Amino acid sequence: MARFFLRNLFSMFITMLLVSAVLFFLLEVAGGDVTVRLLGVFATPAQRDSLRRQLGLDAPAWQRYLDWLAGSDWRAQQMTPFPLVTMPNPQTGEPGWWAVVDDTLTRWRLADGELIAMQRTAEGEETTTPAGDVWTIDDAGNAIFWGVDVNNNLVKWVRGSDVDVLVLSKAGVRSETGGPQQYIPLRKGILRGDAGMSLQTNRPVSSTVFSRAANSLILAGAAFLLVMPLALVFGVLAGVNEGKLLDRIITITGLGFTATPEFVIGVFLILIFGIWLRWLPATAVFLTGDAIFRDPKILVLPVLTLMAAEFGYVSRITRASMAEVMQSPYIRAAFIKGVPRRRVIFRHALRNALLAPITVIMLQINWLIGGVIVVEVLFGIPGLGAYIYDAATFGDFNAVAAAAMLTVFVAVLTRLIGDMLYTYLNPRIRFA
Amino acid sequence: MTTTTAPPELESQPGRLNRLREALAIVFSSRTAVVGLAIVIFWLAIGVISLFWTPYPPNAQLFDPNLPPSAVNVMGTDHLGRDTWSRIMAGTQVVLLKTRLATDPRVVIPGGVAIWGVIGAVLVGGLLGVNAGYRGGAADQVIMQVLDAFIAFPVIVLYLVIVTALGRGDVIVILAITVTGAPGVARLVRGLTMDIKTHDYIRAAETRGESKWYVMLWETLPNARGPILVDAMLRVGYAIFAIGTLGFLGLGLPPPDPDWGSMVNDARKYIYSNPLAILWPSLAIATLVIGVNLFADGLREEITRYQR
Amino acid sequence: MSERIHPLALQAADKLERGRISRRDFLRYATLLGVSVGTAYAMAACAPAGAPAASEAAAGEAGAAGGITRGGTLRKGVLVQPVDHPARLSWLEGANAVRLVNEYLTETGPDNITRPYLLESWEASDDVQTWTLKLRQGIKFNNGDELTADDVMYSFSQWLDPEVGSSMLGLLSYLDGMNSVEKVDDYTIRLNLTSPNIGVPEHLFHYPAVILHRDFQGDWVKQPIGTGAFTLEEYIESERAIFKARPDYWRMGEDGKPLPYLDEIVMVSVDKDAAVAAIQAGQLDTLFKPRPSDFLALKDNPDLQVKSVATANCFVVRMRVDQEPWDDNRVRTAMKMCQDRQKILDLSYNGEGILSIDAPFSPVHPAYAERPIPAYDPEGARALLEEYAAEKGVDLPLKVTLATKNDLSEPEIAQALKELAAPGGFEIALDITEPNGYWDRWTEVPLGITIWAHRPLDTMTPPLAYIADADGAPVPWNETRWVDPEFSEKLAQAELTLDIEARRQIIGDLEDIMQERGPIGNSYWTNEWEIFPKSFHGVIAHPSNFDFFYAVWKQQ
Repeated sequence: MARFFLRNLFSMFITMLLVSAVLFFLLEVAGGDVTVRLLGVFATPAQRDSLRRQLGLDAPAWQRYLDWLAGSDWRAQQMTPFPLVTMPNPQTGEPGWWAVVDDTLTRWRLADGELIAMQRTAEGEETTTPAGDVWTIDDAGNAIFWGVDVNNNLVKWVRGSDVDVLVLSKAGVRSETGGPQQYIPLRKGILRGDAGMSLQTNRPVSSTVFSRAANSLILAGAAFLLVMPLALVFGVLAGVNEGKLLDRIITITGLGFTATPEFVIGVFLILIFGIWLRWLPATAVFLTGDAIFRDPKILVLPVLTLMAAEFGYVSRITRASMAEVMQSPYIRAAFIKGVPRRRVIFRHALRNALLAPITVIMLQINWLIGGVIVVEVLFGIPGLGAYIYDAATFGDFNAVAAAAMLTVFVAVLTRLIGDMLYTYLNPRIRFA
Repeated sequence: MTTTTAPPELESQPGRLNRLREALAIVFSSRTAVVGLAIVIFWLAIGVISLFWTPYPPNAQLFDPNLPPSAVNVMGTDHLGRDTWSRIMAGTQVVLLKTRLATDPRVVIPGGVAIWGVIGAVLVGGLLGVNAGYRGGAADQVIMQVLDAFIAFPVIVLYLVIVTALGRGDVIVILAITVTGAPGVARLVRGLTMDIKTHDYIRAAETRGESKWYVMLWETLPNARGPILVDAMLRVGYAIFAIGTLGFLGLGLPPPDPDWGSMVNDARKYIYSNPLAILWPSLAIATLVIGVNLFADGLREEITRYQR
Repeated sequence: MSERIHPLALQAADKLERGRISRRDFLRYATLLGVSVGTAYAMAACAPAGAPAASEAAAGEAGAAGGITRGGTLRKGVLVQPVDHPARLSWLEGANAVRLVNEYLTETGPDNITRPYLLESWEASDDVQTWTLKLRQGIKFNNGDELTADDVMYSFSQWLDPEVGSSMLGLLSYLDGMNSVEKVDDYTIRLNLTSPNIGVPEHLFHYPAVILHRDFQGDWVKQPIGTGAFTLEEYIESERAIFKARPDYWRMGEDGKPLPYLDEIVMVSVDKDAAVAAIQAGQLDTLFKPRPSDFLALKDNPDLQVKSVATANCFVVRMRVDQEPWDDNRVRTAMKMCQDRQKILDLSYNGEGILSIDAPFSPVHPAYAERPIPAYDPEGARALLEEYAAEKGVDLPLKVTLATKNDLSEPEIAQALKELAAPGGFEIALDITEPNGYWDRWTEVPLGITIWAHRPLDTMTPPLAYIADADGAPVPWNETRWVDPEFSEKLAQAELTLDIEARRQIIGDLEDIMQERGPIGNSYWTNEWEIFPKSFHGVIAHPSNFDFFYAVWKQQ
């Protein structure tokens, strides 16, 4: 069992690695020019090049992939003797990068060709002093210095360089002389919980993704918990009555729900219950962060929509499984022995028949996630699905990648649990 | 996989006509399959007719916007004053009958987006699956591991990622359907191949000294075609569904040629003033998906029974 | 009449008397020159009747409704955008959030008349080159500090600092940095312009121009200090923002107590389709910038009221004159002739707008010169295209691709134009992408539909879009590359012409040039709407979609 588990875990790790590579290369490499998004269409090629350098896009793709995955501080650290650390910004709480010089957090910026050190004291106050002579001479004879700038990059400044460098700040692009020549954007990498900055909001992706995921989890969880018993009961009813009218009704209804896209069901639920009858809130507008708990009614229609989509699928698998079990020799034998039908079904058939659907459903969790995206967009729920959708329509690479990684992780993890559960419950596989 | 493949002696029977008769017999012995086939044929016929005739030109703005159904416009008009029934009819084309390539000048090839997407998925998935199943060992492990990564994606997430990276268009939707469908096909074909591999006629071919590709393509795949066909039918259903969902999310096939998903998305904005406008394309999507599903289900049940 | 009246205002009054300009033109013009609204109405010699300012409108309605009630929450569906430095605001949604907490020196009302806001008054020198701004006294920030000239000086320094990156910097190009801004005393600021400009008061209402506290550090979400009627409680991008009424706001309500009447304002980030459903179901009260479909969905709801206002917002079918076939004026003219303006307006905007004449001047602009609306003329277009095709040796229909974004009304206009232009001899292929997909290339496509936002002055849009820079290259936003010497010359003349009548003459010429050989087709100017439950009073529809909530009240 332990070996089986470990092998699955390893396979899951490889899967996630592959997923990350697919995401990275699809979005970052095949995707459009990010500088167009950030600078607009009027920027000159020189400005675009400069921005590309500042974002570290001049590095080869494999290097950027490793940075994105596991962080860039490893390789940045080799450039500077000062330890690189992150500290939360006292105002926003977002982590920022600093170099530790003589036990003091330090960053640098260039003013009139000379470096200025900005230091943060233990009390959180920031002081500014000239950095003095920190330059070192490189092989080409230039005076250079590697230090952390205010935008969380490790920067190579070249002293007295007569090359004009374009620098992008919040105020736009401006030209600096003797400026930074090379950038390594500092990041911890998605494996260490740092998914980078969102292009859309300019705040760390990690700070929004998790609260969004919680809302999705509540939505999907509620739908899942409610639909399972219902669908199982109807699936069993249909399976036991295979070929009879009840079976046909349940099957056709289930198929109807499955074949009708979530958005169609949702739109009609909104129209009927939210607007014509006014029984239920038409959308899930979150007036406060804890709106789900204050006003659980807002979740009724989204949950119903998801349930309708899942119902057909679950009842169908249950029906098939139940029908198969009812045909199996030992159940037939029980009937022949004269055991009452009710007893056969509840004592013998049910337990075996439910095994397959419960685990198969766990294997199909990513299918459920797809429905969650549509439902969140339709009802305006601030969940992970709506987040991916917004980010995708904006072209926000870091956000799409992080959110997609999270959904894939959830899907893979659930599948792993499903696999384990199935193996555990099904002796035929366990001892095979 | 509980399905087994057709016994080899069935293959040795000559006569194309005979085989066709058998296939038809399978279809017509299942009521479910007949109902499904009838629905599919209905929509196919509508699509073919729409190539030559619709009550009004589907993109022409001949009427007032958002009219209710009447004798003139049986399903009413949309927000641009176009006849909804004409657009529903023409909407079958992009799904089932034609694909617009984004070339200059524009080229239209026969076969709808859903069809090409599934063909792509079956080709890619079939090749990968038969290789994994037949070769086994390291090749199998690598192929399945890579496919596992794609299967791990929730389908819509993968669609969103592809559309984010590559933009919109018929070909990109086809690509998305291919990428999301291929891993499933590959798993199925791999399972079937591993089963078929144990049969004597494969041994025989190997002993004859046929190449691996010959055995895979000419001996193995043809014998797995029943389940693959059923699976492909089901996938056409998913594809129609997916095109609808992408259209609803505003990421679907580009206008102005009607497609049902985008019609739903357009109509959704006007749902309060014209609720029926959203009903028609929704019904179209749902019935076609149901039809394809019933057909595939019936076919599977019959094939399974036939083989018992 | 103790106040000093600008000589140009006196001249204008004279023209009004002789019936050469309208009363509305006069009011607008006189108030711009620093004549108080009351005095201007007095000079116009009639009682106030036109659309009054936000607070006045609210007051008028309150009187009619009898008895204002206080309290209540206003819930608005609007994208909660990232905001840091208000001087850097570049989108309306963010600006509307900041506007609740911070205020402006001036206010341009829905009637296009600019009035003092945090200012008590302003005065322009006779050559319109020196402007003196007098602050209202006794206004307190929500941290207790009094508003003084220091705060205004600080705000100017932020707008004019290239490091901050405010769009005010470009707008205030007539200021030579802080050298041109002078603190006279604690409540007086003087601006010494490098060239005369009549637009100063309007520019001070540009949406990033909120007055900041002198200690502001650069992140508004962390430091929401302002003089406005509300304080910021919570601000989560893409989710929600909550604002609470402030007890000691400087403006007084009808009931003699400080405004605002409302207790709370909640902004929620939802998709507009979801917002419409939420409004129907009573979960939200209103939404930002309703689209035509939203208007259609909500207008007949008996619980809701719709306020609409004419604007200079438009969707421009713009043609790049440096690319074939649009370099030929016959083709451009043919495309313009293919607009059935009324039909396009009906199909894409529910008929809610004013028809237009293919020029960037709207009837809401004061110096607009009336011209007949061109008729739909596919035969005329076809004739021109046949001539062109014969000359070039190409076949009709002429195949062109029209690009735009899948947004407000652009897809509807594009699809309508495709049909309308077919008999004229065009075969239009549509290339409709998500908004970002279009904004990535809006200046590059040969034929496209671009939205141009409302600007209150007639000479604000053309210099952005239809001229060349000093080197003769088209300015960055000149998406059509159209540069016409006569047009540019007359436009420069119009910018310096203060006399309304002379100005209207020039604007008329500019309209004729645009119609004759310009690069754009423009079928209509849109209306903007504010949709609210009937229980809300004092709601203003502003052509720029600015919110004014300090005097809104809810029937309890």
